[in-house]
Amino acid sequence: MTGVHGLLLAAAANSARGVADFGTVAALVLFILASMWIGVLANRAMQSGSFMKGFFLGNRGLGAWALALTATVQSGGTFMGFPSLVYTHGWVVALWIASYMVVPITGFGVLGKRLAQLSRKTGAITVPDLFRERFGSPALGLAASLCILFYMSFMMVAQFKAGAVVMKHSWPGAGPLAFTEEVAAGEFDRAYFMGLAIFTITVVGYTALGGFLAAVWTDLFQSVMMFVGVLALLGLVLAQVGSVEEATRLATTQTGPGFAFGPGFDPSRAGHEFLPVGLAFSFFFVWVFSGLGSPAGLVRIMASKSTGTIRRSIYLLSSYNAFIYIPLIVVCICGRTIIPDLPPGKTDEIIPRLAIATTRALPCGSFLAGLILAAPFGAVMATVSSFLVVIASGLVRDVYQRFLNPAASPDQLRWMSHAVMVVVGLIAVLANLKPVAYLQAIVVFSGTGSAATFCVPALMLAYWRRATVPGVLASMFAGGGTVLTCYVVGVSNGLLGWFTRQSIGNLTGFHPYFPGGLDPLVWALGISLAAGIVVSLRTTPPDALLVSRLFDAAPPEPPTDAH
Amino acid sequence: MMSHYESPPSAGTAPLSEDPLLRSARREALVVGVTWVCAMSWSVGYCAWFGYGRSIDGLTFVWGIPDWVFWGIVAPWLACIAFSFFFGARFMGDDDLGRDDGANDEPSGAGA
Repeated sequence: MTGVHGLLLAAAANSARGVADFGTVAALVLFILASMWIGVLANRAMQSGSFMKGFFLGNRGLGAWALALTATVQSGGTFMGFPSLVYTHGWVVALWIASYMVVPITGFGVLGKRLAQLSRKTGAITVPDLFRERFGSPALGLAASLCILFYMSFMMVAQFKAGAVVMKHSWPGAGPLAFTEEVAAGEFDRAYFMGLAIFTITVVGYTALGGFLAAVWTDLFQSVMMFVGVLALLGLVLAQVGSVEEATRLATTQTGPGFAFGPGFDPSRAGHEFLPVGLAFSFFFVWVFSGLGSPAGLVRIMASKSTGTIRRSIYLLSSYNAFIYIPLIVVCICGRTIIPDLPPGKTDEIIPRLAIATTRALPCGSFLAGLILAAPFGAVMATVSSFLVVIASGLVRDVYQRFLNPAASPDQLRWMSHAVMVVVGLIAVLANLKPVAYLQAIVVFSGTGSAATFCVPALMLAYWRRATVPGVLASMFAGGGTVLTCYVVGVSNGLLGWFTRQSIGNLTGFHPYFPGGLDPLVWALGISLAAGIVVSLRTTPPDALLVSRLFDAAPPEPPTDAH
Repeated sequence: MMSHYESPPSAGTAPLSEDPLLRSARREALVVGVTWVCAMSWSVGYCAWFGYGRSIDGLTFVWGIPDWVFWGIVAPWLACIAFSFFFGARFMGDDDLGRDDGANDEPSGAGA
């Protein structure tokens, strides 16, 4: 009884202090259990048919809701990095993210139908499979696979930190389970490591259990939770601040006029410009082409059931994006007045902190806070699970089965897929023992890098008969190499001080060089396109029969005698 | 550059016509490209003109949102949603994706 009494007293104290309580962690536990249950259901559903097609492509059965809401456009960045930018720089971040207004139509409308068709014609299960079969080149498939592994590993490692941070904030904040006290530099942060362990076990567990379908179904469930969580938080913050206009005026008095205008508020007050017009222009390339060239997105299109599915997904995702991003901007603008004093290293935590702060006075407030925290937690889990599937498929299908053991049995493939997911999860945990910094910067690097590598080659694959293997390889390496070079130059310059640092973009050390004030992706796409065209035209044309099979209508069936 | 019409798949057969799905996909991709350029030009142009280098005194609000954000971002976003409904429900055609060749536990042969 004394123990229960103590816990109740601790709960009352937490509620008064505005820190997470047992209700918060209970809501997240329920969410985790629901995700595991979905993994079990997915495991049962994929039992029929081929293991590879079921585990890595869901037997090409995705419907419109699943395709639209699981296109992995939301990630840890959506609920951690992006809110942090709004909190720090103000309204100009709306322009930074504005290209999401066209991301659904570009993501599905440019390549959707054609990739879905080509993947069926060639029997491709993965993106590297598709390159290999379309051009009849194992080397091209291997190159695509290695590039995907490189970029996705960066992105996934960053997501694990976000998952651990949400779990950390959901721990009860007082009494014997007091995990959330601030930890001094160099001290062991046990709340963070507990969060990291629980997050990893959950997400690797359900993904290994149900593969692609588990990733998609949990993604769908989590997308609904994100929608509910964001709208609930919007209502709560508006109730606290009165109106958005009032919040904006108050925030500008706390910060400066830059909070309401471009190029954004500069917390360093050293003349740094977060979003000059050149970068605003660049981000209409960054998000659009990151969506278009994302391997996780491409593979979901390959899994779509029909063209009707793709059509409906366009307007479903279009509406969904508006209801996520515009409210999130308003929430964080208001958040600046509710929690005005977050230090620079803590601004990633604005959403979890707002969820807890705005629900403390409500009945069952801590449970409600947990439901709201399920939104960022779900976004991170959804991203990690889909990336785990893509990385595992790359290693198992495109490396192990193609090159190491072509005669592998379905049981060997199943065992290897599970083992790869566990090993990748462990590597991500090891990489996060010292939590990665610059979450949003890593998301942008990974997105622009894979966009620069895959966008032009995917367009060549889908629409250009004359594209050749050397041309596609040149396009891949020229695009990816341009982005990589700009990052190496930018980061090295930050460390070694070769020339005056460009004072634009994210306030982080993980900062590319911006040639001409534009994001490296803008240049990379142009260079990738030029390399692809020039090298293709200067090399031997592709096999006419192979091209005809993939670009021409099937010849009419010969008439049969009707006897 | 060799056209596919110049290289019939086998001697003695008529040239093949282009896959109808490829034709419709290309047409739709072009429309999407134009939409992207229009959205980018409007948003970046409007915001650069009205959202940079202004004084806080002249700032007005529409539905609580700064005027330049509303007209430069929120309004075109709503227009894009409306266009997406038109594009997905009316403009984009339905095509047969074909049957699923291969895709089993064996790695399939190279495109033949």
